[in-house]
Amino acid sequence: MSSGCPPQSPAVAKSEVAVEGECPLLAATFAYWDNILGPRVRHIWAPKGDQSMFLSDGEVTFLANHTLNGEILRSAECGAVDVKFFVLAEKGVIIVSLIFDGELKGDKNTCALSIILPQTELAFYLPLHTICVERLKHVIRKGRIWMQKGYNIISVLSLEIVPIMELLASMKTHSVPEDIDIKDTVLNDDDIGDSCHEDFLHKAISSHLQTCGCSIVVGSNPEKVNKIVRTLCLFLTSAERKCSRLCKADSSFKYDTGLFVQGLLKDSTGSFVLPFRQVLYSPYPTTHIDVDINTVKQMPPCHEHTYNQRRYMRSELSTLWKTDSEEDIPPDTVIHTDETFTPDLNIFQDVMHKDTLVKSFIDEVFMLKPGLSLRSTYLAQFLLLLHRKALTLLKYIEDETQKGQKPFRSLRNLKSDLDLTVEGDLNIVMAFAEKLRAGLHSFVFGKPFYTSMQERDVLMSF
Amino acid sequence: MIGSPDVVAFTKEDEYGQTSPDPWALPEEFSIPLHPLADSNPWAKTSYAKFTKDFILISEFSEQVGPQPLLTIPDDPKVCGTFDLNYFSLRIMSVDYQASFVGHPPGSGYPRLSFVEDSRVVLGDSKEGAFAYVHHLTLYDLEARGFVRPFCMAYVSADERKIMLQFQELSLRFSQASECLKAGNRRAFAKELQRKLRDLEYTHSVLQREEGLQREAGPQCMYSAHAVEKANELANVEKSIYEHRDLLRQISSYHCRPRRDPHAVTCQKCMTECLSECEALLDKYAKLANPFSYTDKGGKGEEGQVNVEGGEEEVEEDVKRRPSYTPQLIKAKSAKCFDKRLKTLQELCDQTFYGATVELLKETERSFRGDLCYLHTRRLDKTLRRRQRVTNFLFEEDLGDDDEDEGGTLRPFCAVNHAVDNYTLLNPPPIVLGPEPLELDSLEPPDPLDPASETSHTQESELGLGESHLESSPSDQTLETQESSEETKGSFSSDKSGMGPAQKHESLASVRSEPPDPDSDLTLDPDHNADLERESSSEETTAGEDEGDQTPVSLLEVVSELEASREDDCERGSDGACEMESDLLVPIDTACCMAQEGFLYEASAPEADLHLGQSSHHQPSHTLVVNQEPQALLPLQDDYTVGSPCSESPAAGLELPVGLLGDAVSHTSVEDGSDCTMSASTGSDRAASPLGYGGVVTLRQRKKAGQGALRFVRQYPFAIQALWCLLSGRTLVVLGADEGRVRRLVAALALFVPGPGKCGERVQAWLSCPFTLTDLQRWKLVGLQRVASPVGSSMLYSLSRYSRYISILDADQKTLRCPPYRGQLLANVADHRTYIRRGSTYFLHVQSTLCRMAAKAFLFTFTHHLHLPVSSAEGPEVVEGRRRCFLQEQLGLGEEDSQILLYLSQLVTQQYLQPATGGSAAAAPCFSFNYTTSVLYKI
Repeated sequence: MSSGCPPQSPAVAKSEVAVEGECPLLAATFAYWDNILGPRVRHIWAPKGDQSMFLSDGEVTFLANHTLNGEILRSAECGAVDVKFFVLAEKGVIIVSLIFDGELKGDKNTCALSIILPQTELAFYLPLHTICVERLKHVIRKGRIWMQKGYNIISVLSLEIVPIMELLASMKTHSVPEDIDIKDTVLNDDDIGDSCHEDFLHKAISSHLQTCGCSIVVGSNPEKVNKIVRTLCLFLTSAERKCSRLCKADSSFKYDTGLFVQGLLKDSTGSFVLPFRQVLYSPYPTTHIDVDINTVKQMPPCHEHTYNQRRYMRSELSTLWKTDSEEDIPPDTVIHTDETFTPDLNIFQDVMHKDTLVKSFIDEVFMLKPGLSLRSTYLAQFLLLLHRKALTLLKYIEDETQKGQKPFRSLRNLKSDLDLTVEGDLNIVMAFAEKLRAGLHSFVFGKPFYTSMQERDVLMSF
Repeated sequence: MIGSPDVVAFTKEDEYGQTSPDPWALPEEFSIPLHPLADSNPWAKTSYAKFTKDFILISEFSEQVGPQPLLTIPDDPKVCGTFDLNYFSLRIMSVDYQASFVGHPPGSGYPRLSFVEDSRVVLGDSKEGAFAYVHHLTLYDLEARGFVRPFCMAYVSADERKIMLQFQELSLRFSQASECLKAGNRRAFAKELQRKLRDLEYTHSVLQREEGLQREAGPQCMYSAHAVEKANELANVEKSIYEHRDLLRQISSYHCRPRRDPHAVTCQKCMTECLSECEALLDKYAKLANPFSYTDKGGKGEEGQVNVEGGEEEVEEDVKRRPSYTPQLIKAKSAKCFDKRLKTLQELCDQTFYGATVELLKETERSFRGDLCYLHTRRLDKTLRRRQRVTNFLFEEDLGDDDEDEGGTLRPFCAVNHAVDNYTLLNPPPIVLGPEPLELDSLEPPDPLDPASETSHTQESELGLGESHLESSPSDQTLETQESSEETKGSFSSDKSGMGPAQKHESLASVRSEPPDPDSDLTLDPDHNADLERESSSEETTAGEDEGDQTPVSLLEVVSELEASREDDCERGSDGACEMESDLLVPIDTACCMAQEGFLYEASAPEADLHLGQSSHHQPSHTLVVNQEPQALLPLQDDYTVGSPCSESPAAGLELPVGLLGDAVSHTSVEDGSDCTMSASTGSDRAASPLGYGGVVTLRQRKKAGQGALRFVRQYPFAIQALWCLLSGRTLVVLGADEGRVRRLVAALALFVPGPGKCGERVQAWLSCPFTLTDLQRWKLVGLQRVASPVGSSMLYSLSRYSRYISILDADQKTLRCPPYRGQLLANVADHRTYIRRGSTYFLHVQSTLCRMAAKAFLFTFTHHLHLPVSSAEGPEVVEGRRRCFLQEQLGLGEEDSQILLYLSQLVTQQYLQPATGGSAAAAPCFSFNYTTSVLYKI
């Protein structure tokens, strides 16, 4: 990694970020295409620690410049953020670059925000790629506004770069293993209700599946929390498990947007404050499970969640646009509202829809003798059934609408044809299908919902 | 109160307001859309790409013309549509990601070859809707600047997520292709060096001779300008010889360099072959006593030296090679950069390796075809099915022996047919959404009648001939159609155009130090993902490994004609085992099922235990349970079984035709004179899937089966009765005069036959002779020809004779005679008012339903307390009552539905206890019936 690096530009500023634990990130960079000098690195973020482990600034600069090479040809639409992903074996690194346009010193420039990891972390990083990219994309949206105003983008980008470093470091130590031993889960109990109340378990799993496998588990006892985390992760794919995190025994991690299941420890006062914005920015609605008081709450279904999320994002960006001082970056904790939009802060609601799929599974799986692989097999059969039902549902809608060319009007037929008349069952299968085909909920349920929301907004504006 | 007109008025005002935009309003370019395209159409995100489906693009950064596309796979202009390949090549090749030193390093006298690792990049052009995985590599070319030619292979897709989610697998596939191409290139490069060295030596000798003549001709102490020039030229040639020898040395040391790419995949045999070839050349030139003494006869001396190590083969090889090349005089000044012709990709690479690379890329393209959600589900499906092997035989396709792919990791293989063990994956990716694993099974010949394989040309050539994997590559033709300039390509193609496969093979063999071992031929599974193409239905049909329908608890068994063979069979087994088998089945299976720790995941252990007949290594707990349970449940069986409980009686007459022609082969039962000559028609679906109904079922067959089943359900209001018969183990005979119709019906209904066997042994698509009781034992679904002849009357007689054991679906009269079904379990899958439009969707629905039934059967089979007496005082009727209660109250099943579960459970039990017998080897020696009155259903 040391050969052939050009001399470092003296103008490159660097921030060292103190991250607890081992941070797999080598560096993050912000570079731009200077119309005279070509690619230039503006800022480097590097984790604080043993410098021999990391890249030299010259190497980082060399790599960051590479990410912009070829972008002189870029012909993307204004505001588009394109992702480039490099695995450079010669240099032994992975680079994830988000390319966007922004205004620097009055000129339109092509810019790149990149994170650099060692190539050995490829398998670790890949499942987390979407999470990182989505989070970085949003901070870039904010950064572009900041650039447009002539402010320094670095302070805005730092708002997300640092948490991503922390996320990767935490995942390095506490991610859920790909192979979960059923013995570490509630499903190994001799009888239903041994670890937790039967109805609680049913509700938790059902809601977890209805919210696309996205859940937060909070509690005071880390073992109890982690047992539920592992149990819920049994219903995820191995890639999704790699995007799930156990809770730390001594103190709690922060909530991280985008993880599938995460365990969070309550503080000494017995509470855990969830950041509204981050929870809303999760790609899927979330189930909130409190293992201390055995409560299960869930966010609205995908189409509502996505709508609320976008409204809030627009509101946040709008607020930023109206900020008239570089020092006044609105903190994430502020709830953004405007004259046409007031977010519903009560985003976690009771689980309304009962299902039969999970209910019968829970009832039946405990009939099988624990300690053998019988329950694992039965679980595999259950998951296979859900995946197949989801694919059938997707195909059914695809046929009915000619791949989305026509609106879907036959939900009732679908329910009866595919044996999904129970609302909870439909929600679960729809959630699985949503993961396969993003936007399905909005396509199927969106229209009436949007109409009602628009009417409500219009009425609210009086 | 505000009415809607008021709202409209206000909204109108808002719209007018937008004409004078609020200076504080966020411009759209900085915002995000509230309703993105995916909301209105989740399928639309790929619709704005200018190409119709994914393809592979090979591009080069030419030192003469810059980035240029060379080849697309598939080589069909329609695929790329109006997509600008030139522009895209420019985009993906515009950066040298391998930036590394080439040329003369400081302090080095000789030019250095740069051994750079491949780079992998995912990038996109959001405006064009095109995204690509790009694999950059460099090849060596003696004529090129810095001796390197940068190339890239790109997998182009409109779906960015598809690329990122399958990054590791793409990387692995393209690494294999790249290594193959590079291995061939090194070989070609070494040969080029060899030729160059010969030219140089020849030139040197000529110059030396000329210089000597001049020296002799001129005065002793004076050198003419011409002589000085000649001397300089000579010195230059000598320098050039040293340089080229050094290059040869460098290319020979390729394998010694430390690999920096942990994801590179190399075939050791390829490496070794190339290496040995290079080393042989190196030796040849290094060992020359006087490298500058080339004479016309010098070649013989060389040969002798080389052959010291090479042996006779080397001699022959050299003899073959020698006449193909005549050394040429090299001019003092080489052609200018733009005068010279750059080699084509084929010329840069040994033909064998080039062909193999193109084949590999074609296979890669095939395996990634289709929508991500179907690819993804298919892989998840496979992963999950691996965890439930005990029930897979019921309705699932055969998973094969691909346990090593447990993690979904793609099994590395050599594109040039070397054994798989030769491959080294330096750091195998821990998670890959693996495609269909490559299975040796796939080498079985494909169905020649299957018109579904759109890629059949390649596949058939791969399959049909063991050694034809490389030779059948259509790569030359593919390249011939490329737009790239040059007459050079044309000439190259024309050189080869007259060469038949055999000739090619010979020519390849002549340049290879070791021909590929046909025995170790590990070609790609040709059908291996061909089904995916353009298919939205992902799914597989039913398959199984074993079958048997003995001892359903609620059903009586008939004593079969196999008592004798049963006894024989028992005698063959150990006494204890025979005793166990002959005593009871149900108790044993339930007991065994429960007693085995880790019964599924620790495959070897349970299997050993499960061979009750052969194994004496039962675990103590197992023995304990087995010793107890049969006694406890003995009366139960006495109550219900009449037939032979000894399931394995492989009497000759019962052995099923499991050859390549499946049901279409002629079969003669040596017992009871039931010479049943099956129709040898090849028109059926079943005949068209010689590798088994579940194993390698083509897309068209699956679709057809689904379509047929949906049509059947829609057409026949009594379809539900027929399905119930099949699922509850009652043999269904489809009677009809029209073979095509009967076969279609059978193919459709075969989806519902539990445990049809690997090759569909439990289904007889077309039978044109009377059947016997023996036949009914092994077939659960029979297509029977209706003929108006004496044979026909005997057939009708056989039908009426066995009518109490079978159900008869008359395809001509459109009637069904069978016991009535009043359950609910099948209501959803056999509703003739269903709105499901397509067969493929219906097939998925059927698959889900059957999957659920299999799960329930598993639950019922392995819920231990149902089958065991709680106390010694508890009688079998209590246990039986508990089982009934479970079925009715826990699972909510009625009488008929319970029969389905009992039958499936029976099969699971049998499969669990005798997994090794396999579906094809064993035929159930007994069949069941009950005395419920049959009813005639009409449309």
